[in-house]
Amino acid sequence: MATIAPQKAKARRRELTDGQFALMIGLPVILLLIVIVAYPLAYSAWMAFHRILFFGGYRTKFVGFKNFATVLNDPEFWWCTWVTIRFTVESVILTMLLGLAIGLLLNRPTRFGGVWRTLVFLPWCVSLYGAGLMFAYLARGQTGLPTAILAHLGMQNVPDFMTTRTIVEVLAIGSSWTMAPLVGFFVLANLKTIPKRLYDLAAIDQLTPLETFWNVTLPPLRFTLFVFTSIATVLSMKLFDLIFVLSAGGPGDASSTLTYQLYKVSFINLNLGYGAAMSFFLLLFIIGLTMSLYLIWGRREKQI
Amino acid sequence: MKRREFGTLAAALGLAAAPFGRAFASVADLEAASGKPVYFRGWQFAPEVVQSNVKRYNDLEHGKIDYATVTGDYPAIMEQSLIAKADLDVLYANPSTAVRYYEGGWVLPAETLPAAAEIKADMLPQFLDAWSYDGKLLGLSYFASTRGCVHTNLLAYNKAGMTDKDFPADWDALYDQIYALHDKGVATPILPHWFGDWYGISWGFVMEVLNRGNPVADPTTHKPTMTVDPNGPAYKTLAQWKKLWKSKLVPQEVLTYNESAYIDAFASGRYVFSPQQIYDVQTMNTPGRSQIAGHVTILPIVKQTWGLIDSALYLMTNRKRPEAQTDDVKKFASWYGFKDGDGKTFVADRWMDTHMLFSAYKSVMNSPATEARIKKAVARPGDYEVLLDVYKQTPFPVGIWRVVWSEEFNSFLKDTLSKFLLNDGDIADTIKSMNDQIDSLNDKYGI
Repeated sequence: MATIAPQKAKARRRELTDGQFALMIGLPVILLLIVIVAYPLAYSAWMAFHRILFFGGYRTKFVGFKNFATVLNDPEFWWCTWVTIRFTVESVILTMLLGLAIGLLLNRPTRFGGVWRTLVFLPWCVSLYGAGLMFAYLARGQTGLPTAILAHLGMQNVPDFMTTRTIVEVLAIGSSWTMAPLVGFFVLANLKTIPKRLYDLAAIDQLTPLETFWNVTLPPLRFTLFVFTSIATVLSMKLFDLIFVLSAGGPGDASSTLTYQLYKVSFINLNLGYGAAMSFFLLLFIIGLTMSLYLIWGRREKQI
Repeated sequence: MKRREFGTLAAALGLAAAPFGRAFASVADLEAASGKPVYFRGWQFAPEVVQSNVKRYNDLEHGKIDYATVTGDYPAIMEQSLIAKADLDVLYANPSTAVRYYEGGWVLPAETLPAAAEIKADMLPQFLDAWSYDGKLLGLSYFASTRGCVHTNLLAYNKAGMTDKDFPADWDALYDQIYALHDKGVATPILPHWFGDWYGISWGFVMEVLNRGNPVADPTTHKPTMTVDPNGPAYKTLAQWKKLWKSKLVPQEVLTYNESAYIDAFASGRYVFSPQQIYDVQTMNTPGRSQIAGHVTILPIVKQTWGLIDSALYLMTNRKRPEAQTDDVKKFASWYGFKDGDGKTFVADRWMDTHMLFSAYKSVMNSPATEARIKKAVARPGDYEVLLDVYKQTPFPVGIWRVVWSEEFNSFLKDTLSKFLLNDGDIADTIKSMNDQIDSLNDKYGI
């Protein structure tokens, strides 16, 4: 007995607590995050409080909150915020509707199901740069699909969608075209988990297709839809490539979202302090929007 | 001297001369010696030609050139690379960007090349002037062109009952003719230089003001020179733009075109006039590439010049690297941007041959091969002289391009001019805002 007790105590001492174990396995990730997230974030914060000049000799000057105040007083910032909101709302709604439709269609038993699934998934594999080029060609009057169709019908009209009125919608369509297949596939995976007997019961209860969708299909999808709405929101708010290639923020500044404006301010005008300050407002908007989504929708889904 | 003594002397001389054999064989020793790579980054224009030129250098001169193209906004990406002190030795730049990079302390001027005197002697004076800053030649000739020479679709022009003798002599006459052509049933008489690239609408404005006789900013002090006088160049340009925009003869989508779409649009044959690159006369006259091939000329100089100098240089960076590697950078830049080991302007000649890229070197532009090449590209034999005349007289906006803030002003100009059209802006207010911006940039950089 005298020899067993110290051994047990020794073994207990070696055992890690849950917190220690979590820390141990999480440490590499934490270190990685410090390197790739915390450092750039801290550096951005430093830049946001400074005026940085590269020409005529590199020099910096502490300016306090001046950059933040300038951002808030800049009408261009508010215009770009409005464009970002308009684009994000349209893009997310289109993405989710298209994704849901793709999932529902692919869930129906059809011949060559595998081929369809592959084809439908392809847009997600296309780079945003490529998608931007394609939609620019499709939307322009000069080279566009509507022009080609009208010409085929013998009409000489040149419908132009690259205008201040419609450019955000063209971008939203392009963006949702690339994102919707991924949503569609997660919806499909979710649909496959719904027991068939629930549909049998719905049939016995003589529910209409719409009622069946609403009461049987939709409830298990709601959490997936919430997650992808959040993801699509974040991706839309920070989208850059598609806008750069498709419209370059134009005509004028009609499609200049905050990310595009940030690029212009920081990398063309090399106004890094001001750009960094603006990027923190974008970060706040993204966090605010996703938190709101969680509070309004996500928390309820979690409780269910 | 005895035969035996002569033989010994000859052998000794031969042995002594052996290490310089290569130098005798070629005009300059451009062989790489450090064994280290030279990083060369280019934009996406004919990368296959660049790749093959680089391979030739690597094969002939045992170079280790690491070449890659950069996608996206080239000047901005290069600027970030220079700031980050990335592996970058040779790059492209427009003159205004070159000035900015020089002010950032990132450029090794071409003055430092052993062949600098020969290079400068061979350079056409307007380009030597445009590419010199702080008394130093910044880089070597990649291409030297006229942007904004007015391409004219002769098929549509003649169909409207007009001939060469009706060619407009200045911008005002050109605008008058646009409406006359429209009255004759031409739906889209002009494709203006309003496209969305960073050298689109802003350069379109600068070239018109410059051609009308105002330098936009003073070449020496960089103070703004535009006035709100209704007969002044800036005012007249904006007034014509406003009228054209309101007439709805130009589709709004032009503001979002990139250059490729802009070229395609004119090549479609829908338009009569368009300010384009001088070397794109070849593109417009190439069957299969253009609907109006064989029918595109440019407006000759009568009362004023057309367009502005659009050029690019090969720049060397001055990042920290071993001296031997810097020597290799210079050798490669000299080989690529001027003459190869055999004393030939191989790369410039090849650009002329493949893409009709004009060069800043007299030896290239005055060669019979160049004359033959241009004559092959123009619609009519007489157009060759017209092209050269326009090319040689093209102005350069020194006041706004040979200054550190050039790119920032260009970005401002692009936004301001697009908004001026889209929001029916006030002409005087717009000119005032441009002048204010120049003043503010001068203040920012202590000019």
